[in-house]
Amino acid sequence: MPSYSAPLRDMQFVYNELFDPADISALPGCEDATADLVEPVLEEAARLAENELFPLNATGDSHGCQYEDGTVTTPPGFAKAYQEYAEGGWIGLPCDPKYGGQGMPGALNVLMEEMACSANVSFATYVGLTRGAYRAINTFASEELKERYLPKMVSGIWSGTMCLTEPQCGTDLGLIRTKAVPAENGSHQLTGTKIFITAGEHDLTENIIHLVLARLPDAPPGIKGISLFLVPKFLPNKDGDIGERNGMRCARIENKMGIKASATCEMSLENATGWLIGEPHKGMRAMFTMMNDARLGVGIQGLGIGESAYQAAVQYAKDRQQGRSLSGTQYPDQPADPLLVHPDIRRMLLTMRAFTEGGRALSVWIGRNIDIRDRSNNPQARKEADDLVQLLTPLVKSYLSEAGHDAAQMAVQVYGGHGYIRDNGVEQYARDARIAMIYEGANGIQALDLVGRKLPAHMGRYLRRFFHPVQKWIDANTADATLQPFILPLAKAFGRLQIATGQIAQAGLKNPNEAGAASSEYLKLFALVALAFLWAQMAKVALSKKETDEEGFYQAKIATAHFFMERVLPQTGSLFSAIMVGGKTMMEFPDDAF
Amino acid sequence: MPVIRKVAVIGSGVMGSGIAAQAANAGLEVILLDIVANEGADRNSVAAGAVQRMRKTNPAPLMHPRNAARIRPGNLEDHLDWLSDCDLVIEVVLENLEIKRDLYRKIDAHRRADCIVTSNTSTIPLDHLVADMPEGFRQHFAVTHFFNPPRYMRLLELVGGPDTQAEVISSLRDFGDQLLGKSVVDCKDTPGFIANRIGILWMGVAVRFAFEDGITVEEADAVIGKPMGIPKTGIFGLLDLVGIDLQPHVERSMLSLLPENDMYRSIHRRSEFIEKMIADGYTGRKGKGGFYRLNRSDGGKVKEALDLVTGEYHRASKPTLESVEAARAGLRALVDHPDRGGQYAWRVLSHTLSYAASLVPEIADDIHAVDEAMKNGYAWKWGPFELIDKLGARWFTERLAAEGMAVPTLLEKVGDGSFYRIEGGQLQHFGTDGSYHDVKRAEGVLLLSDIKRSSERVAGNGSASLWDIGDKVLCLEFHSKMNAVDEGIMMMASQALKIIPAQGYEALVIHNEGTNFSVGANVGLALFAANIAAWPKITESVKQGQDVYKNLKFAPFPVIGAPSGMALGGGCEILLHCDALEAHAETYMGLVEVGVGLVPAWGGCKEMLLRWSDNPKHAKGPMPAVSKVFETVATATVAKSAEEARSLLYLRPGDGIVMNRDRLLARAKERALSMAKDYTPPEPRELRLPGPSGEAAMTLVLNDFRRAGKATEHDVTVGKKLAHVLAGGKVDPTDTLTEDKVLGLERTAIVSLLRTSPTLDRIEHMLETGKPLRN
Repeated sequence: MPSYSAPLRDMQFVYNELFDPADISALPGCEDATADLVEPVLEEAARLAENELFPLNATGDSHGCQYEDGTVTTPPGFAKAYQEYAEGGWIGLPCDPKYGGQGMPGALNVLMEEMACSANVSFATYVGLTRGAYRAINTFASEELKERYLPKMVSGIWSGTMCLTEPQCGTDLGLIRTKAVPAENGSHQLTGTKIFITAGEHDLTENIIHLVLARLPDAPPGIKGISLFLVPKFLPNKDGDIGERNGMRCARIENKMGIKASATCEMSLENATGWLIGEPHKGMRAMFTMMNDARLGVGIQGLGIGESAYQAAVQYAKDRQQGRSLSGTQYPDQPADPLLVHPDIRRMLLTMRAFTEGGRALSVWIGRNIDIRDRSNNPQARKEADDLVQLLTPLVKSYLSEAGHDAAQMAVQVYGGHGYIRDNGVEQYARDARIAMIYEGANGIQALDLVGRKLPAHMGRYLRRFFHPVQKWIDANTADATLQPFILPLAKAFGRLQIATGQIAQAGLKNPNEAGAASSEYLKLFALVALAFLWAQMAKVALSKKETDEEGFYQAKIATAHFFMERVLPQTGSLFSAIMVGGKTMMEFPDDAF
Repeated sequence: MPVIRKVAVIGSGVMGSGIAAQAANAGLEVILLDIVANEGADRNSVAAGAVQRMRKTNPAPLMHPRNAARIRPGNLEDHLDWLSDCDLVIEVVLENLEIKRDLYRKIDAHRRADCIVTSNTSTIPLDHLVADMPEGFRQHFAVTHFFNPPRYMRLLELVGGPDTQAEVISSLRDFGDQLLGKSVVDCKDTPGFIANRIGILWMGVAVRFAFEDGITVEEADAVIGKPMGIPKTGIFGLLDLVGIDLQPHVERSMLSLLPENDMYRSIHRRSEFIEKMIADGYTGRKGKGGFYRLNRSDGGKVKEALDLVTGEYHRASKPTLESVEAARAGLRALVDHPDRGGQYAWRVLSHTLSYAASLVPEIADDIHAVDEAMKNGYAWKWGPFELIDKLGARWFTERLAAEGMAVPTLLEKVGDGSFYRIEGGQLQHFGTDGSYHDVKRAEGVLLLSDIKRSSERVAGNGSASLWDIGDKVLCLEFHSKMNAVDEGIMMMASQALKIIPAQGYEALVIHNEGTNFSVGANVGLALFAANIAAWPKITESVKQGQDVYKNLKFAPFPVIGAPSGMALGGGCEILLHCDALEAHAETYMGLVEVGVGLVPAWGGCKEMLLRWSDNPKHAKGPMPAVSKVFETVATATVAKSAEEARSLLYLRPGDGIVMNRDRLLARAKERALSMAKDYTPPEPRELRLPGPSGEAAMTLVLNDFRRAGKATEHDVTVGKKLAHVLAGGKVDPTDTLTEDKVLGLERTAIVSLLRTSPTLDRIEHMLETGKPLRN
């Protein structure tokens, strides 16, 4: 069976060495997030992930969730682990202390989430959804609703969901049919059916707070007529405790490919009582607040699984002996050399490692910008951070989920036939990783979001928050001879990204299909350049500390940076070619010939 | 008939002083008479005060403050003898028959026998006005009905009586058209003439049906504005603008004059709601508020709209009517839409358009006159008959009939046809005789739109086209969004540079019929390129623009610019590179780049330096010219007329000003042809510039502005870059610089500014809001 050990050293490197933690502890409310606090928090989170969540991963997969007459039972051990997780204050880690949260930086929370996802991604979904619902309520709901619901959600006594999808509408939410009719005391009665609702029903919490998209009677058609409602499973009584059962019930759960311990529910609403969050017909705005958080969370699922898959693959590649090294026997006293001697095995392991370490840096970068966006006193800094988060969100969601999935597949490949059978646990990673490329906006939708919304927004202003720092970093470090192996490939890939961006902006203006046709490759190109920018910075930090390298950590970091620049980044060349040639071959292909 | 050189305007109210100002703008000698003041020593103070106010009125009635000197104020008791050498007397006094008649007798006693007399009456029939006057007076009398404000509203309704001499009418037409720049429309002597006759009914139906159909103020204006091609003030915004209290007067006076069976009588309703608004002082923008108001309480500035049911104000909101969305597909989609917006649109249009159709030939000989009047007098994009064509005349007729509304004879006559058609490239309109007639243009009018109907373009792309305008002259037309200068325009200009010599053309005219000649370079593209740090590409495109403009300047054929409306930034710079301009009087030129945190870099700095250093009035040395350019460009000064542009040297002494924009292209072509004979292109020149010491002097000025709080930090940054360019960089003042060197300085300056965040924020703000950002 695979094992998991949280990559604490690398996490500390990213949090404290690659970036300046003082930027974050200088933010209002983050004063306590100093190095001496961050370290024990990460260590405690690691302990929890390794000892409590990871052992439930395989058993959760084999038991799955059980549905019976409207109730859902989570796999054995989940309820106890959840309780420990909640009691430790982990659910409210980044939440407002006003509601009982810990007020910890998002940059730190990102690392904690990664560990949870590495250890048990099914478990992580229950917690992650509460966080998204928390944010939508905190941003858009009335004070009264906040007071009533947030403290119990932050403490984990109650959990949250987001209910968007209906049988006839997935991506196209303009087709939503669930109705909300105004009722007494400013509440509404909701009726309709929601499907694919993660954590829609379970036995982990005493109450579940659903955020439901629905239409008011006077709603304009389409996407401009959607409103957001809070619908609790149990209506709170005057004291705030759970009271009457509400008319929202789980009708069945799905039998699915992966994350089997996460309940995917069909929810039926029959005159369920709900309260409007935000303004009528402005539900999409509130929903996107929730959704953006959820998208980052999904990217981190990919990263987390990628890390576990890497660890499993390394362990197996060291232990398993098959064949001899191509350059001659390395371990003559053994019947065969370990897999690790084989170039193709090393290629896979380093590809996985270059991704997880780069992806971790990317996650913390966006986490830091979320902290600045939410907490800085400087409006300009807030605006710039928000721009960058907007820009990077589809990248993080899409690239990390895809690369995480690829890493899981590589782990299976390293294991060979032993990876394909269930006993060794890595095929679960491959199955669990698959959904991240689909939910919270399929990766193709993320790519469209990038080229269709984020690129043209404010005539490219979001882009400035990425392109200018990269250009400035290249200019500032270009004279440093030791950095040449990193700067030259970065500059080359960055140039490709600039040209491709201009091309998509221009071609897309004339013909939106051209932007659409280039979008997936463009997103990947963009993500690789973002990773290259981070890898170049990581290499610079590691080079400067090489002298004090007791564990060989910095050496390995520099070597991985070389690998990324030489063996991963060149993919930008083929992506660039595909983008520049345009979408003609696809769009002119006759429909009838398919 | 004498040529009109000297004009008397009697009555110095808003309209009278506006007409006097426009006559002065035309270079005429003007007398402005009004009653003797009740108080004070100056018996002329009523008229003199009006002249004083002209300098402060906004929008300015005067094209240049000095034009006020052409207007001599006087009074009606002491100075009637001044009328004796006037060629035209325009009466603009109260709408009171007795007062007017009394005045005409006084005028007649002093006027020269061939002096023309006109009234600006909007309500009193001409025959009432001159009933008791001698024949000689009647022969020289007509109505000239101007619209407010006279400088800016293009319509002039011209009405002759049965005795008015034909030469008097033609003299007045030329005066209105060529001197005042108006679109002159011949009208019959009927109540409200053309524009107000239809306009008042239109306003009546739009207001009444909004109340009756439960349409909100915002919805009414959204339906009536853009979808119908009417200014975005729609109906309620328009009432606020002109004054809600004015309406009852106008309505009463129309009702007293209109024929018994006129549709307006069945439409008109007294509105207690509106009467109460007026009584309470809610008369529109000039009063406590109107159908809209800006609520400035709590230091905010919130646009509020009036609820037509409760009479309470609420925050104005953008209406969400499906019909308004549907209107993008055309006018028919709007009136066909079943929602209340679509129904309202139909009610307003069906009444207004069928009313207009019922009035020809009663109010005008042909439909084209009606359309011209509504377009130029009410700023409609399409006239009533053009609107009917958009709906389809047959469809419109059938729906009127189906709903039991009267179908005017003219609509029956046009049948399956349309009111306009293009036959052999010629625009024709449907006549009351049932056949089509060419839409005739006056002599000296050449419209690009006519040329475009009758010929294929020589070359073109999405942003610009080249047209053969006859006699071997090519015209470069911009038609990008807001005529912003972009790659397509540059490409077409380069194309012209090749085609003209290659295909035997002799000259180029740069002209278009857009509202604005060009609002400047398309900075959106530059912004995007800057956002992705594409610095080499930006440098390259700046250089490309400089090369195109430079090649136009040194081309082996004359290049004539013929602008109207705004010509800003890059749009101004292309004009600075022309060999000569024929500018519409309403041309607003300016190098406004600093407003978006940039400096002129397509040769604008260089050309302005050359112009000011050529100015013989300046003291010796390079600094006076540099200071002058710095002052103009650093403050983004925009000339408020072609005349002001001449003072700022955007126009050179030899450049022409044309009052009527319909005559612009013909004049430019004429100029092009005369220059094409024996044309020699200009030689490149050397500039003598002050170098670092000059730059330091300008920097001092900037720092003073900063200290005085008149400039922001980024204003200073931009100003310093400009100072560096204008001073000639690091040049030794004893040396000279080539034009190309100055272009190099412009390029470096603009690219370095595009690297700054405040400049990019300014550009973004301008593109998104249309307003400059002070950061």
